[in-house]
Amino acid sequence: MNKILRAVKSALFIMVFIIPGLFLTGCTKKEEASNKLYIFNWTYYTPDSVIEKFEKEYGIDVVYDSFASNEEMFAKLKAGGANYDLCFPSGDYVSIMIKEGMLAKIDKSALKNFGNIDPGVLAKSDFDPGNEYSVPYYMGAAGVAVNKTKVSSYDRSWSIFCKKDLAGKMIMLDDMREVLGDALKYLGYSVNSASEAEINAARDLIDKEWKPNLLKFDAEAFAKNFAAGEVWVAQGYAESIYAEMDPSRWNEVDFFIPVEGGPSYIDSMVILKDSKNSKAALSFIDFIHRPEIYAEFCDAFGFPATANVPARSLKKGPQYYSAESLEPCELKKDVGADLEKYNAAWQQIKIGK
Amino acid sequence: MAAKIHGFKPYRVAALFHARRVVRKGAKAASRLMPKKAKSSNLIFWLVILFLFAPLFVLLLYSFNQSRSGEWTGFSFVWYQKLFLESPDLWRAFQNSVIIAFTSALMATALGTLAAVGTARYSFKLKSYVSTMSFIPMILPEIVVGVSLLVFFAGVGLKLGMLTVWIAHTTFNIPFVYLLVSARLEESDPSVVEAAMDLGATELQILFRVVIPMALPGIASAFLTAVTLSLEDFVITFFVSGPGATTLPLYIYSMIRFGVSPVVNALSAVMIAGTVLLVYPLRNFLKVFAAR
Amino acid sequence: MKRNLGPAYVAPQALWITVFFAAPLLIIVAYSFLQKGLYGGVEPVFSIQAWVDMANPTLLKVTLKTLWVSLAATIVIILLALPCGYSIARSKNQALRLFLVIVPFWTNFLVRIYAWISILGNEGFVNQALRFLGFRAEGFQFLYNQGAVVFVLVYMYLPYAILPLFSTIDKFDFTLLEAARDLGATRMQSYTKVMIPNIKGGVITAVLFTFIPIFGAYAVPLLIGGKDSYMLGNVIADQLTKTRNWPLASAISMSMTLLTAIAVFLFAFKKPKEQQTVKDIDPLSQPNGKTIEFLHRSPEQGKKKPSGKGAA
Repeated sequence: MNKILRAVKSALFIMVFIIPGLFLTGCTKKEEASNKLYIFNWTYYTPDSVIEKFEKEYGIDVVYDSFASNEEMFAKLKAGGANYDLCFPSGDYVSIMIKEGMLAKIDKSALKNFGNIDPGVLAKSDFDPGNEYSVPYYMGAAGVAVNKTKVSSYDRSWSIFCKKDLAGKMIMLDDMREVLGDALKYLGYSVNSASEAEINAARDLIDKEWKPNLLKFDAEAFAKNFAAGEVWVAQGYAESIYAEMDPSRWNEVDFFIPVEGGPSYIDSMVILKDSKNSKAALSFIDFIHRPEIYAEFCDAFGFPATANVPARSLKKGPQYYSAESLEPCELKKDVGADLEKYNAAWQQIKIGK
Repeated sequence: MAAKIHGFKPYRVAALFHARRVVRKGAKAASRLMPKKAKSSNLIFWLVILFLFAPLFVLLLYSFNQSRSGEWTGFSFVWYQKLFLESPDLWRAFQNSVIIAFTSALMATALGTLAAVGTARYSFKLKSYVSTMSFIPMILPEIVVGVSLLVFFAGVGLKLGMLTVWIAHTTFNIPFVYLLVSARLEESDPSVVEAAMDLGATELQILFRVVIPMALPGIASAFLTAVTLSLEDFVITFFVSGPGATTLPLYIYSMIRFGVSPVVNALSAVMIAGTVLLVYPLRNFLKVFAAR
Repeated sequence: MKRNLGPAYVAPQALWITVFFAAPLLIIVAYSFLQKGLYGGVEPVFSIQAWVDMANPTLLKVTLKTLWVSLAATIVIILLALPCGYSIARSKNQALRLFLVIVPFWTNFLVRIYAWISILGNEGFVNQALRFLGFRAEGFQFLYNQGAVVFVLVYMYLPYAILPLFSTIDKFDFTLLEAARDLGATRMQSYTKVMIPNIKGGVITAVLFTFIPIFGAYAVPLLIGGKDSYMLGNVIADQLTKTRNWPLASAISMSMTLLTAIAVFLFAFKKPKEQQTVKDIDPLSQPNGKTIEFLHRSPEQGKKKPSGKGAA
């Protein structure tokens, strides 16, 4: 009996003092250890094989967390997730993050492979003139994936979302700048429009013509739903679509950037201000722009090597859309306070009915 | 002592007592009436059980499916092999979950037990504040708890990570511990404590030798409930988790949303089996749990 | 005679709850009256914009839809849970039946949602079976609509209602049913007029334990719902993580908290007492105003009875 009591007593003591104590010191210790690199990146944006190679070569343990939209990423960082080291925002968010003082300057002299980056892409990255805070990772655009075995006749245009015969079999991203941008482009406006009338016209187009035919808006599961045959037409990112499908089924997919173009992005690598391991982050940036590594990354998703010049000749695999098809697209920019208009329009689209 | 540890006795007593009374009051009437009545409700009960279990069996079945898609192509253990041998991230998430579950349950059990003892034995000014505030987190929609904690952490500048997840889990576990232990203490006999006091026991002796042993079944089921709730939580964790603090539910969420592998089927099957193995020996606690 | 150590005992928990629960709620209240920051967070400027936005017809529609979904799911749940609780209470093998209810209940929340995706999805169990039977190849769309959301919500929260209903019905004196029948009531009347009023406490607990979490549902509409399945929980999350309107997210959360509090105080706290939290929420101690007081007596009291001793 006494033994039991003593056990209970010591258990209680451990509960109250020792465990939380150990736990808390354990946490702080973990943060000090500098062989970990915390990456916050889009789902499926850096192939596992590339990360494994990096881990092996540098002896660094990479922790990869993912997000599905810029908004989501930004909200998490803003709310205190800022102990990530390396993050991959699109251009418009790079400029927001610079303005908000969330980024650390990048020491370009430490990047041996910076010269491999396409000067055209660098010139376009006016969200961060001189690339003081960001290094381009990939220039691309969301497009449309069509399941060819189910849908036979269609135009390579955003008008595919008006097709009533595909009602309930189509899906779009839950990403306001992307979807509203598509509609703006389809109507002949700029994806960065600040005009309330234009944005409202885009909203009405989506609300009245597109949304009735959609299954849902989903930036996370769209590719999985597409792969499972839940939907036959998906607006989204090529890398997710191909990653979800078995390579033997890749020929069922027609991925295209609609002729009208849409919002394009330069996703860039940035080091966060509070990074505890900026050295490793810098090594990772440099590692990505090695031609053979960049080619491996593009091959994994059927990408054109948009941001890295020497990688273009090293690419082996097929490419599911061309760099040229990005031409009608327009880079997304931070629209500042006009973002409110997009917010209002998007809220109405999503919860309006 | 043994009977007490099961925490079950009053009900068993009551059930037996009740049964005798029924028999006394008119066995014939009862036997005429009861089976008839129970029939339709029994039918509904078994249909509901079928409804509750059907999805679990489907998952179990699929976990042995060779193919990646829903089509049945053959029996295979390949997903179990992948689960146990080739899913380091998943096991890292599991490890995080277990760490959080046990530490937060311990903390909540310690705080909740002390508070339950305090409110059961004394009355004081802030008592109603403590008891009201302690149970509101239990009934508030999870999303409100998650959002308020996220806003709070952002406000005080606490970086999201294991620490914030631990704080959040402890917070939502406290009400359950407090209620379960309080309920147990209420059932126990105050004269034992008085006797101990008359015999000159110190406060600490009373706490550790009388009150806590008496409430042990309640404390144990509270701790267990807290561990389960913590292992289970998705919504609150979703908001307050940060780099390196991916818990198993968060990992499962990402497996459902993207990712090709039916490893999630195998994982689900293992988790269901785990639940059965955990719950079955504890079925004598069930009523206590049901009564929370 | 003795020092009052109560405050010392409760201090750690009171402190914890104050810092990590009450303070965050107060911050939410404060935030709902501040101006939103363009890039998230708030500006320290007083504004009632968030509350004005709350009255926005689109938001009101979502609120009504959320209420409707929660109500529909709760009603179905209670209608299913009542006979189940009854059946468990009258069963000879209560522990086994409770075990059967609790296993799905303790199985991970997301695993259970995922299970329904893999049953009702396009490549799911049901569609595969239908295809096998020769139905159309492209399959039926069971998921991603309002009906699916209600269905899965019923599945998720059914055990929450069965357990408290069982524990009150278990305390009900079934001989009262016979008495009612003897006095000429029909079988249905004996249930509605005698049993239901007696187990009211359990029903209220069951309603609160299902309605409130469903009202704040986030994951089920997100994973199972379609384009028109947004519930208030999703709106809050969107405001926080996408549109970055923290004041609005705070205002909606606040209203949800108030609504919950009102519901609880209306139903559960009719007679506020010292021990109200334990007494009135714990279904075991729901006063059901009837005979069977002995059923939830303390073990010590039980011991004094000869029959109690015999049973132990």
